[in-house]
Amino acid sequence: MSHLDKFKEMRKGLDLVQAIAEADRCLLCHDAPCSRGCPADTKPAEFIRKLRFKNITGAIRTIKENNILGGACGVLCPTSRLCEEKCSAMFKSQNRPAGADRPIQIGEIQRFLVEHSWQRSVRIFEKPEPRSEKIAVVGSGPGGLSCAAELAKEGYQVTIFEGRPQPGGVLRYGVVSYRFDMNFLEHELEDVKALGIKFQCNSPIEGKNAAEKLLQDGFDAVFLAPGLWDAATIKPDGKNIQGLFSSVDYLSALRDGRFEKMEKNIKGKAVAVIGGGSVAMDCIESAVRLGAKDVYLIYRRSYSQMPAEPDERIEALEAGVHFVLLNQPLDYVTAKKDRLKGLKLVRTRLGALDASGRRRPEEIAGSEWTLDADVVIEAIGNKAPDESPEWYPKVDVDGNKLIKADPETGRTSVPGLFAGGDIVRGPALVVQAVQDGKVAARAIKEYLKQ
Amino acid sequence: MVNNVDLSIDFCGVQFKNPFLLSSSPVSNSAEMVARSFDAGWSGVVFKTLNSDRLPIVHPSPRMHCIDYGSKKEMAVQNVEMISDRSLKHNLTEFLYLKKNYPDHPIIASIMGFFTDEWVYLAKAAEDNGADMLELNFSCPHMCIEGAGHKVGQAFQLLEGFTAAVKEVVSIPVIAKMTPNITDMNEPAMYAKKGGADAISAINTVRGISSVGLDDFVPTPNVFGKGAISGTSGPAVRPIGLNFIASMAQNDQLNLPLSGIGGIETWIDALEYMLLGASTIQVTSGIMHYGYRIVDDMIEGLSDYMIERGVGQISDLVGKALPNLHETEAFDLERQGIAQYDMDKCIGCGQCYIVCQDAAGQAIEWDAESRRPNLIEDKCLSCMLCKFVCPVPDLISHKEMPKEWKRQETAVMDSSLEKDIKYEPFTKEGPNECVI
Ligand SMILES: Cc1cc2nc3c(=O)[nH]c(=O)nc-3n(C[C@H](O)[C@H](O)[C@H](O)COP(=O)(O)OP(=O)(O)OC[C@H]3O[C@@H](n4cnc5c(N)ncnc54)[C@H](O)[C@@H]3O)c2cc1C
Ligand SMILES: Cc1cc2nc3c(=O)[nH]c(=O)nc-3n(C[C@H](O)[C@H](O)[C@H](O)COP(=O)(O)O)c2cc1C
Ligand code: SF4
Ligand code: SF4
Ligand code: SF4
Repeated sequence: MSHLDKFKEMRKGLDLVQAIAEADRCLLCHDAPCSRGCPADTKPAEFIRKLRFKNITGAIRTIKENNILGGACGVLCPTSRLCEEKCSAMFKSQNRPAGADRPIQIGEIQRFLVEHSWQRSVRIFEKPEPRSEKIAVVGSGPGGLSCAAELAKEGYQVTIFEGRPQPGGVLRYGVVSYRFDMNFLEHELEDVKALGIKFQCNSPIEGKNAAEKLLQDGFDAVFLAPGLWDAATIKPDGKNIQGLFSSVDYLSALRDGRFEKMEKNIKGKAVAVIGGGSVAMDCIESAVRLGAKDVYLIYRRSYSQMPAEPDERIEALEAGVHFVLLNQPLDYVTAKKDRLKGLKLVRTRLGALDASGRRRPEEIAGSEWTLDADVVIEAIGNKAPDESPEWYPKVDVDGNKLIKADPETGRTSVPGLFAGGDIVRGPALVVQAVQDGKVAARAIKEYLKQ
Repeated sequence: MVNNVDLSIDFCGVQFKNPFLLSSSPVSNSAEMVARSFDAGWSGVVFKTLNSDRLPIVHPSPRMHCIDYGSKKEMAVQNVEMISDRSLKHNLTEFLYLKKNYPDHPIIASIMGFFTDEWVYLAKAAEDNGADMLELNFSCPHMCIEGAGHKVGQAFQLLEGFTAAVKEVVSIPVIAKMTPNITDMNEPAMYAKKGGADAISAINTVRGISSVGLDDFVPTPNVFGKGAISGTSGPAVRPIGLNFIASMAQNDQLNLPLSGIGGIETWIDALEYMLLGASTIQVTSGIMHYGYRIVDDMIEGLSDYMIERGVGQISDLVGKALPNLHETEAFDLERQGIAQYDMDKCIGCGQCYIVCQDAAGQAIEWDAESRRPNLIEDKCLSCMLCKFVCPVPDLISHKEMPKEWKRQETAVMDSSLEKDIKYEPFTKEGPNECVI
């Protein structure tokens, strides 16, 4: 396998024997803490028990009925702070027997079961009685897919409007392929498509009042899950700088026809990534894998304050990324024809606590310096497009243009308009978007009864 | 240190340097294999059952199936293997090789015939070619030939007759190997003794079915579309083996040396057989699973146990547990106890609560907030199911309660229905034993 094939394929999951061995370690807890820890109510204790008692189809059914993206979640959930966090198998007693002091690998088992369902062509859902109600879903990311699936399972007529050429949202145009590959995505989408959902791609719902208009165009309810696809930047007028990318551009290029070109941009170059979250981790690790000469991570606070998951940070360090901590980017240095040459930085020190409860970085006067770099990727946050509130002018939004929706129902300030996923929560998780879709679907059914 | 204890044991006048023997099976099929087992530490061998070449022996294919428990492999093995498919000439030549190269390792020749002359012929052939003892195989549950194996073990006159015939022609000691596929082994064992047997070995495989194919409905091993009831061995049959050894060891009339077989893998398994009366033990499935090397741990483990307890001779341990083995009627039912929890160790899995609810006394309350069980002592049945499921060792133990303590009776669901029951108390007197 060439290194590029390795880039495009994710590592193998458990096989049947390994999954059963892992399920064998499970204590089959009463009122299981793992199930309580799953944001989408995927019921891990139930599907592990089913696997343990050789009810494999039943285990798959539990996952798919509760989480239509059970495969993606199994792969992508930061399980160590969700289901696995409180797993009793971690033996929090002083006399833990050796070998039993780690949680059950719930995400791995979940992934296995879903992959196994594809191998065995297990079909979980019957074709439902068609119903007359029509629902529009805006966005085909995890939130949109989950809501659409939940409704389609019961025969509602669902149309997903997707602005991009292909469905999947971040799962397709964000996450790097060695963590979640196209083959896996296509399989999981098959399960969703089999429910009879209409996908309308290349169909952005944008422009004045576009979302609210769907209600007048024959849809009985609308679920908004467009995610966050604008990139924050330290230099709003930097669009013409050659070698400067947003994480959104960079990562989506790695997932479509622009891959080769992007690989050329990175290979053998000095690459700096600005940010400290999970997206920044995807950017640095992929740059290493694409053969960058040096990869720098620029972060204005210190290591322990980075929002990225601990294992992601360690992996990046291991991969050879240079962590440049306590440095605030100021500006870019360019050569002729706007070719990027370097990144102007100033050193910081940590001061008093800020609103997020972390110590605020303060610039150290006179400590400016320049890091030579051929490429800079800004991974400092995805946000809602500035103009997005115009698509749904009557819907209440907050200062960051995130939609205000009731967490229990996904209801917005406009009757019939529901919302969920990142556009409501800000940058969040796949499993949370799945849950928002489920919650909204339930509320939509209630709403349509009235 | 390990050398300070003596593992050697006398069995029917034959000296073994430790009590660990290969039992008659694939693990003792050839001299090349047996030689390696001796090098590994096994003291002797019951060679794979000889046949007289009168009938062709062909093993079915496949000849075994395995029973797993969860991800634990080979909890038991199912086999339809026949006695040795090698010619008698080859097998006897193997004896000569082993006697020549391993003179200190006794060879026990296992034999099986159909009629007296055949038994006698095999017995003599074995003795003449160096066998130190014989083991009469009255116990294979699945020979493809009608009349052989355990059918003899179940027809006690035949068993006695064949034993007597063999005893008449050989001077080496004779062991009778018993089938567990009966109710009380003392009966056939007594017949073997009457026939002159010098020792009893038990058990051979237990008649069983390992599994059934869900697609083809063929029981396993699936021999080209056909299954059969056949022999189960391995850890799952150990309680059955221990039962038969102990009950024969307790039989004063029998009073023969015993060789324990069935599910032995560790020194503890072996020692338990010995504490219940076996003076040697034999192994097949443990070797089929892990190889000859397990004897290393049997020798070392048993030696260390003896050193720790100051036991010099392994023979001192034979039958040590028998004085404590009673009929259940001997129990002192006045003394009662309950489960006792060391809550500092609890990890909050709640399995104790589940089994106590659904299979015991509903004696546990579950605190969902703290995820901890709370035992209502007066309801505890002392069944100890909670201890069995608890993943933390020594968290739950049994403790005796004071004499005046009384267990709560199981509550009646709706005692208002009592007035409607159709019933009269039983008042007749009768004997406390079963009579028609
Ligand atoms: C690089 C990256 C890595 C991540 N890694 C993980 C991870 O490992 N684990 C994890 O749990 N989470 C991860 N996340 C977060 C997770 O992907 C998101 O929380 C999740 O995808 C949110 O789902 P969503 O449905 O709200 O939005 P999205 O997935 O963003 O999907 C929104 C969809 O709506 C479409 N759209 C936008 N506007 C319109 C419009 N006007 N009309 C029609 N369609 C529109 C978009 O094209 C997109 O397809 C990651 C995020 C990123 C960016
Ligand atoms: C595949 C197989 C073949 C066997 N063949 C014989 C045999 O030829 N003669 C015999 O006396 N016992 C035979 N046995 C029985 C074993 O010697 C032994 O009594 C039985 O397997 C129980 O011991 P274990 O649990 O250690 O395997 C055989 C057992 C197995 C599994
Ligand atoms: S918490 Fe852990 S041990 Fe308990 S049921 Fe869940 S996975 Fe199993
Ligand atoms: S969906 Fe995610 S959080 Fe929930 S059980 Fe599965 S892996 Fe764990
Ligand atoms: S089974 Fe043991 S560890 Fe689990 S809750 Fe009960 S006492 Fe605690």
